[in-house]
Amino acid sequence: MKSFIDDFYKLCDLLKAGEPFAFNRFSDGELYILQNKELILDSSQVKVGEKVTDGIYKDEDHKRFHPEEHSFYRDRIVEAFRFQKKNYFKGLSCRCCVGEENFQWQLDFHGNYDKNFTWANLLVNGNYPRFICEMYPLFNNYKTVFVCNEKADLSVLPFIAKDFRVGYNAMINDYGLIETIKKWIDENNIEAYLFLFSASSFSKMAIHQFYEHSDRNTYIDVGTTLNPFMNMRLDRTYLKSFWLGEKGKDLDKICIW
Amino acid sequence: MIKIVSGTTIPVGSTVALVNLCNQFNAKDYKCILYGPDRWHLDKCRSALLEDFKLQNNDIIIVHDISLSSASDVCKLPALVTLPQKNYLFKIFKSLMPQMIWRKPKPDHFTLVLTCQGRDISRNRLPRIDFYQKIHAVSFLQQISNKLKISNFICPNMVDDLITSEHKPEMIAGIIGSICKQNNTATSIEKALQDGMKTVIIYSYLRDPIYYFKEIEPLTRKYPGKIKFYGFIDNKQNMYDSISDVYCSVKKPWSMVAQECLLTNTRYHGPELSNNSEPMTNEQIFLVWKKELGL
Repeated sequence: MKSFIDDFYKLCDLLKAGEPFAFNRFSDGELYILQNKELILDSSQVKVGEKVTDGIYKDEDHKRFHPEEHSFYRDRIVEAFRFQKKNYFKGLSCRCCVGEENFQWQLDFHGNYDKNFTWANLLVNGNYPRFICEMYPLFNNYKTVFVCNEKADLSVLPFIAKDFRVGYNAMINDYGLIETIKKWIDENNIEAYLFLFSASSFSKMAIHQFYEHSDRNTYIDVGTTLNPFMNMRLDRTYLKSFWLGEKGKDLDKICIW
Repeated sequence: MIKIVSGTTIPVGSTVALVNLCNQFNAKDYKCILYGPDRWHLDKCRSALLEDFKLQNNDIIIVHDISLSSASDVCKLPALVTLPQKNYLFKIFKSLMPQMIWRKPKPDHFTLVLTCQGRDISRNRLPRIDFYQKIHAVSFLQQISNKLKISNFICPNMVDDLITSEHKPEMIAGIIGSICKQNNTATSIEKALQDGMKTVIIYSYLRDPIYYFKEIEPLTRKYPGKIKFYGFIDNKQNMYDSISDVYCSVKKPWSMVAQECLLTNTRYHGPELSNNSEPMTNEQIFLVWKKELGL
């Protein structure tokens, strides 16, 4: 049976061994895009398909996807989702977080079962303390490139060799950065580097295209996990529980397959 | 066989000490396995997860950081370590009751040794320890209660094989030791910066993230660009090669940091340790263990 903890240590072992891999995550936001639902996340509203609730998202997390207007970008996310290659790990939204129906929808939409399926939440929830204490120090073994929000302060992270910045709704507004980074990789013979991504849906397209282009580097979507080191908001419940001690069950949650 | 069982094998000093001890036994052809509930130790020495521990006749069991209430508890170690807190408290209460009336027997088909890596033995959180055959402390300065009528011995932990590198940096401070209130980590960082250190590197296990976010994260904004967080790294030589000074704010007689600073020509800023005796070599330490365990 797949194990949330074993899968986490599988990535740690690859990092220790210096073996390149990609860890791409398709969370609920990407799930809705894959399902071709209109998605608006901003400070005034959260709209998923026809369902609208109050907005809670800050500037850097604003996202807007319209199925007809942005079909090009959805196609790129579909490609990232269906892409298969050795050591290309795809994190899916798990049944315990998005429900049985949505979980099964992802598997059906993907087609064949990929042995590299894993959890989108692999670095958070019950694995987050392990991520900070055991995986994060392994980043020091690499020259690291960070693709992240323009507001992030990276000065506490000792391993950063280069950074590329994105703004809000980067999936659409910063799509051109993918070609810029590919060119930088080629021109500088970048190999054995670690690329970290904290750029929402942009990360999914970029990780797929970079790993397809150059599989001698490692690419990890770290999401919001490093926010406390980057002077960014702790607005996820797992971050509030871990760093602020707020009540919550996320840190006890061992996701199931 | 020698089996070291620990209630924690996260990357902290006590785990490193147990890994070194295990490696030393095996290097001397005494079969030894380190068992722990976490996974950090698994690629550092001959090791296994605590759930795989099995007691066999004539084993020598070295126990660290696990609350046993009797020698027979060794047979149920994994459950003891993972027991929920409310049951744990109940278990301690239950275990104390009969001990007020009679002493717990020592085991007769295996040897039970308690190793105390940090805390004072007199204040050890173990409810009772009269069933251990021996107690090991790492420093004379650990307070061993006179009331303990159990054979005890003192020897420090093994020292890593460290050297002074040719190219030491200047004015780069290192903070070593778990990040927590008890270690006054934030005080060490500020002291280093007030002494004019260009950069402070935190080479520490994040034991208390709430303390980090409350006390250290604000310092990263107060002193922008001067504080780097590495976390705990395995390679001590690389760590000492990257720093010129170490800052420490608490007195820990058992800590190896001051001695490691000497070996690597790193300036140590911390409480003076009153034990001025010549440090023991790993060979001498091993001979103490050999004698005490009757190997």
